[in-house]
Amino acid sequence: MRAVRLLIWTGSALLCGAMLLSAVHGIWPPAGKAAISLAASLAGITIGLVVWDRRPESRTGLFLTAYPLAGLLADLGSYYWGSSFAMTIALATSWLAAPIFGQLVLTYPTGRFTSRLDRALVEIAYGAAGLYALVFLVFVSPRSLTDSADWHCWVCAPPVTQIASRDLTGTHRIFDWIFVALALALLVLLFRRLVRATPAGRRVVLPLAVATCALAVEFLVQTSLYGTNLNTWTSSAWFVISTVTDLAVSVALAAGLLWLGRGRGAVAGLVVELQQTPPGGVRDALARTLGDPSLELALWLPERSGYVDGAGRPVELPELDSRRAVTVLGPSDSPVAALVHDPVLLERPALLASAGAAARLSLENERLQAELRAQLAELHASRARIVSAGDEERRRLERDLHDGAQQRLLSLGIALQLLRGKLGVDANGAGELLDEADDELRAALDELRELARGIHPAVLTDEGLGAALRSLAGRSAVSVTIAAIPDDRLPAATEAAAYFVVSEALTNVAKYAGTAEARVSVSRRNGRMLVDVEDDGVGGADPSRGTGLRGLADRVHALDGVLELDSPPGHGTRLHAEIPCA
Amino acid sequence: MALRVLVVDDHPSFRRFARRLLEAAGYEVVAEAADGASAREVVRRQRPDLVLLDVLLPDTSGFELAEELHVESGGPVVVLTSSRSASEFDGAIKRSSARAFITKRDLTPAAIADLLIGLA
Repeated sequence: MRAVRLLIWTGSALLCGAMLLSAVHGIWPPAGKAAISLAASLAGITIGLVVWDRRPESRTGLFLTAYPLAGLLADLGSYYWGSSFAMTIALATSWLAAPIFGQLVLTYPTGRFTSRLDRALVEIAYGAAGLYALVFLVFVSPRSLTDSADWHCWVCAPPVTQIASRDLTGTHRIFDWIFVALALALLVLLFRRLVRATPAGRRVVLPLAVATCALAVEFLVQTSLYGTNLNTWTSSAWFVISTVTDLAVSVALAAGLLWLGRGRGAVAGLVVELQQTPPGGVRDALARTLGDPSLELALWLPERSGYVDGAGRPVELPELDSRRAVTVLGPSDSPVAALVHDPVLLERPALLASAGAAARLSLENERLQAELRAQLAELHASRARIVSAGDEERRRLERDLHDGAQQRLLSLGIALQLLRGKLGVDANGAGELLDEADDELRAALDELRELARGIHPAVLTDEGLGAALRSLAGRSAVSVTIAAIPDDRLPAATEAAAYFVVSEALTNVAKYAGTAEARVSVSRRNGRMLVDVEDDGVGGADPSRGTGLRGLADRVHALDGVLELDSPPGHGTRLHAEIPCA
Repeated sequence: MALRVLVVDDHPSFRRFARRLLEAAGYEVVAEAADGASAREVVRRQRPDLVLLDVLLPDTSGFELAEELHVESGGPVVVLTSSRSASEFDGAIKRSSARAFITKRDLTPAAIADLLIGLA
């Protein structure tokens, strides 16, 4: 492709040279202006080819080359008006620069359309340019182009393709107005693009937008006031304006490219900023440096062979054809992180690479922290699973006791009653023995029931937390005042945690508080269940004493809750738990 | 004429001993049922005078079944029973349409007779 570019440049340079010679030796156009105009065209073509060479993956370079080249070819008519061949090329390319310019602007900097509307506008412009070429190449004489200000086409040679050669003065004005309308539409679409762009994208598009506005305004004023046949060769003011605005596009692109290549200055700031960045703040710092607030950071965890976010949650990178771009930082076989960003940043590979390199160490730290968070999250989840499995096992044990041993003992009790009936009033003191056996049996049933209830209260499973707490309060050794109690059902793990908090607290009140009264309140607020058990006893409870409170704390923490004990000596005790229950 | 009784409980050993206890006390146990569905069927076919109904059944609760039987005109008298104490049902027994509740360990012919005074 480099050979093609070299050929284009050499051909353009030779053409410019030939056109200059023609102007110098001929009577038209004025040699001085021709030299300036040709130099500007060649500069534009050169810039386009350089961009094309540096960024072959972007089609912007191609359009940047084609735009001034089309203008140069269209100018052939001014230099070789007596040549049918030159007039053919000139008429074929008269309006070609316009759609190329539209495509250049609306696809900058990738060279690819991002909106159907943009594509439609450019396609219409190509169609109009093609129609114009067809009309003047085949049917209408170039003399029809002549306005009073443009004298030279009185003697223009007809194009080689001319068949009808009709004289239809004013035909070209129709196309003037078509392209005025298209230029206005281009400005609207460009404005829409600016409004929608991220700050990074806006910075890329802005220089081009300014130059485009200048060019479009010049075109609109010129075309609507005078028509395209205004003779810029004879009007020095319009010649200067036209040449300067044309060059401005090239210069704007060069400035844009310089900015896209820049990066070290911004990255120096990033290095300083990262020194003071708190853990988890690398994304924000990178987003600021790259000018892309939508930037997302995905950290690579080798152990999982996957990406996670800063909190350790798994992250899927977007599809390649989506409107987001992905830049992987670090070696491809063992990346450190991936940046999900505005595709426009792909045009700034130097900045992306520098920023990535500068943030490498911080990202390593961030990754370690994310790994830690992921492990903590996993640990947390596994703890919750263990508590849940433990509860399930307790429920199963309680059911087994209820359905098995308890039922057999009850049947045995009935059997003793039947036996008493069969033995009569008192067969050799057997009645007394039966009474003792019955007492033992009742004691065994009581103990079994207490055991089963301690393992997991069936009323909690069957009737819910409210019923279980009322039942608990009813059996408690101290007088319990229930201030609030939930009526609806909640997740089993939440209900069990709340129940065991109250149960343990009431047991402790009875054992250590030295008071016969306690207050219980269980309520829901903002997706959390608040459990409070208070007494006015002696206080001074030591949370490290015994395993009851520690086990409760483990259970509550496993559900992402908190358990607090407040027990100043002489001022009662308050056990407070907060358990998520959304 | 002896009162005709249906025993509904999902534990076979309890049903067996309860039947013998009730029969020894002069009741006629017309059938046993292990769940709510078969209990409904027996009630429809046999029209017992009394149903000794366990609160916790595999397919329904004794409270619901008691309510169903109660709304039928000429339905049987229902006595709920359970291995758990009344306090563990959080007032559901008081709200229930059953005539009475008796824990399984207090189940004696005399206790049932007390509950049914005036029925025979």
